[in-house]
Amino acid sequence: MYDSKVIRRRRAALAIFVVLSLGLLTVYFGESSGGALHSVQRGVQAVFSPLETGVNRALKPVRDLFGWVGDTFEAKGENERLRDEVAELRERLGESETARHDVRELRQIVGLHETEGFPQGTDPVGARVIVRSPTVWYATIGIDKGSDDGVRVDQPVIAAGGLVGKVTDVSGGSAQVTLITDASSAVAAQVMPNGATGIVHPVVGKPDDLLLDYISKGRRVTEGTTVVTSGFETEDGRRSIFPRGIPIGRVTKVDPDEAEQFQRVHITPLADIRGIDYVQVLTERGITTQAGIPAQ
Amino acid sequence: MKRTPDAYLRCALIAVAAVLLQISGLGSGRVLGAYVDLAPLIVAAVAIYAGAVPGAAMGFGTGLLLDLLVGQTLGASSLVLTAVGYGVGRYREVRDPAHGLMPIPVGAAATLAWVVAFAAVSFMLDIGATVSWLVLREMVATTLIGALLALPVFAIVRRVLRPVLLVDPVDLRRRRRAPRDAGPIGLRGLEV
Repeated sequence: MYDSKVIRRRRAALAIFVVLSLGLLTVYFGESSGGALHSVQRGVQAVFSPLETGVNRALKPVRDLFGWVGDTFEAKGENERLRDEVAELRERLGESETARHDVRELRQIVGLHETEGFPQGTDPVGARVIVRSPTVWYATIGIDKGSDDGVRVDQPVIAAGGLVGKVTDVSGGSAQVTLITDASSAVAAQVMPNGATGIVHPVVGKPDDLLLDYISKGRRVTEGTTVVTSGFETEDGRRSIFPRGIPIGRVTKVDPDEAEQFQRVHITPLADIRGIDYVQVLTERGITTQAGIPAQ
Repeated sequence: MKRTPDAYLRCALIAVAAVLLQISGLGSGRVLGAYVDLAPLIVAAVAIYAGAVPGAAMGFGTGLLLDLLVGQTLGASSLVLTAVGYGVGRYREVRDPAHGLMPIPVGAAATLAWVVAFAAVSFMLDIGATVSWLVLREMVATTLIGALLALPVFAIVRRVLRPVLLVDPVDLRRRRRAPRDAGPIGLRGLEV
């Protein structure tokens, strides 16, 4: 049996930790992004960044193994086509396959710049993903490029396929990217080729499904069409942080709600949000000069 | 647990290693559609071997490090993991679980408590977007993975902490067992 002194001490310890946690939460929410706790957070991220890069590289084969195991589980019970995919995933365990995968991903990112309508002159900075948020509630990644490489807050980030997010925090050698699947994300977007504009929101817990809201019912949206950033600019000088023409996703389902003024469009991101290894930060806004995007 | 610099260092080492593995190594590794989550497992392991207060302290420290490195809202993970560490530690102090497979239910319960409570805290803080029911599936899958990984994780944590533990529950359990060649009341030569 414990005496009352031990019980008091134990409860006091719990109370201290809970009060400390609540205090941190309150101060963190109350202060601006330049506040003391945010600065400490950036400092710690900068200190750990080289270590994270090392661990990330060293454990790449382990991650690939986990990916293979997970995909094998999901493939069970499915048809012959998925069995072939499992066999293909097995092959990827080898080191050469990993290297080929990396090269392919990098090529796709580079190829994205040559697609019709993609903004030119964006001065992209290539980066490796070194940190991934472990929960579905915060869809963020950490990259190994920071302010020393020209990366700044609010710059768009792309990966193989299209837009993945924006830079939300920067230190000297690393940066934090909030993904378009994060609950706080909202991207002004445009459906191609008809030019209908709306806002892309995530669905928490379903990273393969994004919602394009505020498309008026009069605009016909068809499945399979591409959604790109609209890069809006207002008359009073405000503009979207994303330049016009970056591919976001493909329309998978149009959901006309009778009670609403707008239709709700489901899109699948073109970039593999869960499997990103390399990204590019667009450090300049660039201009969209190519044909194919109707004027707003 | 002994209150020595060595004990604090060992706990810090476990926390840093687990968080770094979590965010850099296993962050994209998905099994059964969910991430491998080491944080609640190491907190539960420290709590089960060292007690409620070290468990709560480990939860606070691990949560703080996780929030700092991932860039999440500071204090959210600390709050939840403190509760997980304290809860598991109290369970050990009150019930004194002795079964060899004890880490499996404890690891599963700690992981489930962590994912559910963290979801609740996230909801209360700043989630304004649509939430899919698939989140529930992810919670269940994360709990199952936690249960699967509990045995090796608890074994590693015990191995690291053993030199600084005042009482090792596993050793205690072994000592409690009567010798094999003894009689029903523990005395040799009195077999019935």
